[in-house]
Amino acid sequence: MNPHDAMLDDIAVYALGALPRGQARAVREHMATCPECTAEYRRLKPAVDAVAYSAEACRDAAGGAVVPSPRLKARIMDQVRGSAARPRPYNVGEMRAVRPIVWPAYAVAAACLAVALVTSAFNISLNEELHQSQAQLAQLGTHTKLLNRQVAAQRTELADLTSTESQHFAVEDGEVVRHGNRLYIAMQSMGMPPRGKVYQAWIMRKGGKQMTPSVTFMPDHSGVAVVHVPARASQIVEVAVSVEPEGGSKQPTSKPAFVVKLT
Amino acid sequence: MARVRTKDAAAFESLYDAYHRLVYGIAFRVVSDATAAEDITQAVFLKIWTAPERFAGGNFGGWIARVARNKAIDSVRRKSPAETELSDAMPDSDLLEERVFSEIDAESVRRALAQLPAEQREPIELGFFGGITHAEIARRSGIPLGTIKTRIRTGLGKLRSALEGTVRV
Ligand SMILES: [Zn+2]
Repeated sequence: MNPHDAMLDDIAVYALGALPRGQARAVREHMATCPECTAEYRRLKPAVDAVAYSAEACRDAAGGAVVPSPRLKARIMDQVRGSAARPRPYNVGEMRAVRPIVWPAYAVAAACLAVALVTSAFNISLNEELHQSQAQLAQLGTHTKLLNRQVAAQRTELADLTSTESQHFAVEDGEVVRHGNRLYIAMQSMGMPPRGKVYQAWIMRKGGKQMTPSVTFMPDHSGVAVVHVPARASQIVEVAVSVEPEGGSKQPTSKPAFVVKLT
Repeated sequence: MARVRTKDAAAFESLYDAYHRLVYGIAFRVVSDATAAEDITQAVFLKIWTAPERFAGGNFGGWIARVARNKAIDSVRRKSPAETELSDAMPDSDLLEERVFSEIDAESVRRALAQLPAEQREPIELGFFGGITHAEIARRSGIPLGTIKTRIRTGLGKLRSALEGTVRV
């Protein structure tokens, strides 16, 4: 092997930008006196620039191009035109609000790397990261679904509580609300039960002889509690609430805070 | 670029329109984060506006690509300054390079890259977008340093030939 070959390999690594600074300086100094190495640098440099170009508007998994949001241009042109006297401190909330939903970075990077098929050692760690991210994303999706369901339930609740077609039965510090087949206990200023205790709802069904246990609940710090009682409201004739040990009781163990007939 | 030097905002805007996808794409490949990539893109273009004399002539696309890559890698290792850098001091007055860039597009480069054997493409992509040294590439892959260097050189040479094929020099 021609001893110069090693230097020519270094030229390639230098052109790629993967030489440590010290060695890069040595290569530059050598090139200044060596036409052969300078020619090699000139031969390979366009290839390196081409590698850079491979990242331009790279497509993500959905086929969308990886491009910045139009807001970025506005932000830059604002500063360039001097229309803002000083660089506008950008408002993070605003930026987040207008930024279009972007593909998760890992998905885009993975799609850009799709050319680099996933067989070798280099890509193994990347794949692991990708799988991790995908698992996280799936989890996030499930979480979002749950939240959406909660929000939907709360909307229904709110609509029921405020509907003019609802029936309201006043109790001390609150009311029991019946809307069609749904039943709620809505309290405004409930005291906190003693430590280790909760509130428990009781219901009496049509034709029933005694109260049967229903949900347990706690008011929030301001004493508000809105509780959906899981039962067919049209079948319920009486509702009560009492303080019970955590986990609830099979029969009331304290004098009820209220008992109300739904008639 | 000459008009940008005279603080012509409209000229700067066309420059942005022509190159922002390249700058952002490179930044994104390096940092894998949309917000960070936008910040880098902004920093690169504002630097061009405030210090256009940094560009010493030659191929502007190649130059701005190097600036974007170096800036992105710096941002990734803000704590420890980049141990490698692409030299942007040396003007590339090679005429061929100008022609390469007037006629190729990102898609054909990606096709050419995809045709390289993985053992050559991977150290090239790692060295460029990963901003790590050849020694680090060798360490991570368990391949001798000399072999890595030769593969980088062979791969870049093939890429050059492939692109020449598409532009008929
Ligand atoms: Zn030499």
